[in-house]
Amino acid sequence: MISTGMFGIDDMLGGGIPDGSRVLYSLDPGVDGQLFMISTLYSVLEKRQSCLVIIPHTTVDAFMHDVGHLRGKTIRAKEHKIAFLDSVDRERIQRSAVSGKAAEREWRARIQKLCTDNKVEVIFGYFDIIYEDFGLEKGLSLLSGSCPPDATIIIEHLNFGGDKLLESLAVRKSFDLILAIKSSFRPLPHFNYFTILYTSWSNQLRRSVPFLVRSGHVVPYIPKIVVTGPPEAGKSRFVASATELGMSVDRTGLEGDVTTVAMDFGWLHWQDFDITLYGTPGQPRFDPMLPVILNNAMGVVLLVDATSHDQLARARHLYKLITRMHVPIIVAANKKDLPGVMSEEEIRKGIGTGKNVPVLLISAHQKDEVRAVLESLVDSITRFIY
Amino acid sequence: MYSYKTGIPQIDQATGGFDAGTNLLILAPSLSYAEALAYSLIRPLPGEYAIMLSTNERASEVIDQFKSAGADKQFVGVIDAITKSSTPAVSDTERFMFVTNPTDLTGIGIKFSHMVEMIFDGTFSGKETGLFPPPIRFCINSVSTLLMYRKLEVLYQFLHVMTAKLKKVEGFGVYILNCEAFDEKTVSLIKQLMTIVIEVKVERSDNYFRVMGIRGINADWHKFTISKGQVVLVS
Repeated sequence: MISTGMFGIDDMLGGGIPDGSRVLYSLDPGVDGQLFMISTLYSVLEKRQSCLVIIPHTTVDAFMHDVGHLRGKTIRAKEHKIAFLDSVDRERIQRSAVSGKAAEREWRARIQKLCTDNKVEVIFGYFDIIYEDFGLEKGLSLLSGSCPPDATIIIEHLNFGGDKLLESLAVRKSFDLILAIKSSFRPLPHFNYFTILYTSWSNQLRRSVPFLVRSGHVVPYIPKIVVTGPPEAGKSRFVASATELGMSVDRTGLEGDVTTVAMDFGWLHWQDFDITLYGTPGQPRFDPMLPVILNNAMGVVLLVDATSHDQLARARHLYKLITRMHVPIIVAANKKDLPGVMSEEEIRKGIGTGKNVPVLLISAHQKDEVRAVLESLVDSITRFIY
Repeated sequence: MYSYKTGIPQIDQATGGFDAGTNLLILAPSLSYAEALAYSLIRPLPGEYAIMLSTNERASEVIDQFKSAGADKQFVGVIDAITKSSTPAVSDTERFMFVTNPTDLTGIGIKFSHMVEMIFDGTFSGKETGLFPPPIRFCINSVSTLLMYRKLEVLYQFLHVMTAKLKKVEGFGVYILNCEAFDEKTVSLIKQLMTIVIEVKVERSDNYFRVMGIRGINADWHKFTISKGQVVLVS
């Protein structure tokens, strides 16, 4: 297995990329996705594997500088097994080759020689120019036909062909892994995410995950999960149990009862995801605030008190409100450790949820049970198609 | 919707300025004032920003040109596709970003997105202009050079993406193409992506322009010169 160098993604792929795979990192124009390929390159180099980097768009010096700058760590060519074919080589090939066929032969010869001389195990190819020079099929066969059969090939490609091209590559099984890196203006401006479109080694559904680039690393993140529910369902406790840094804007009543009057807020880094949680107040008088807090949420936890039949009507009202957002929802039925707990069926019926919405019985005091709710929701979010 | 003033009285009076999302092609022969015309069109006015993708001049030269056109350089960003080929270790800053050469459309797209993001989040110049979305003038100088490095089909797709992005961020794009260097098919394909075309011609050392694609403005040729970064019509 080769690590992608991005641990959250390795987990999604079942541990990484199997040796000998053909991998496509497809970048939409303008999306800041260069670190995907670079992270995998660093991971391979750190494992002391021998690699060939094909960069027909730039020179070795400029590439090394850019990569070191992006990652915050310089590659020392002498310390690693790394060979290059760069823009200078391409110019030489273009100058000497009398025809397209001759150029193709020359590329093949050079790749084969470098692979043999350096016992190359992994090839990293920046594909745009090769694609332009030779077309898709010929360009791919030029890479795969010139290297050892057990070598892993990882390609970065600027995708002008859109989803249609990627779907056709998946159908034709041209790659073992297709990971599309995209950007969108929704739900947030300049919102970047990646989608695992296809893997040949598993039947998992496509998964999409937003990401940030931080300190030279790709960090999967979920900018907003909202925890909502009727009053006294335990939302503040849920956020506090889930997060490392949590706070709540509360008001203490005359009888010492505490009610959230603005929101709960918490942050956690979990399973390589950065996640931010927002808790809403539960009292109906704060309902005008709900659309503001729910705006741009990527998933919602509807927290209900599993011992309180009276609150189900309020939960049903909130459920109707959040289903309009078309984001993944999970129902967490809190206080399962107290007497008078309703069954899952009763809760579903009371709220009006379908079978597709998970209902988990938990105690918000139990961190592992709270995390199980988040795990289920994160799983739904990563399978959601934006 | 924001309107981008051109500094050309005939256009500004007739249109009130170009609508946000306008993409304008300057179609001109060699040795004309096309480049100076482009600088006059993308010079950022107070409250605005400008981004220049330069395939012909180094970032420092681009900034000099903006300064001589009277622009505040703090609001100007340059994506330089020249310098890095000779100075590979040159590093990006907020306002100067570098790609190795004009073939690197991936890099150009990313640097453009970075600059726009920084303008949007107020970290570009250290001074927020207070307008949202921030008005951004963008120029590719030149499409002709990009066409020498990449195939027409690829460049068409790239420009399609760039013009669409400009529309999305409510910017104003200016693209320079040498009309003598490419065939009719190439020119008409690039024109398809544009809202407005300004044609420039040179006769006996005098420069003329005409504007195509704006309702209410006829396509007559206007003799012009450039003075202190401003278009001056010569009667």
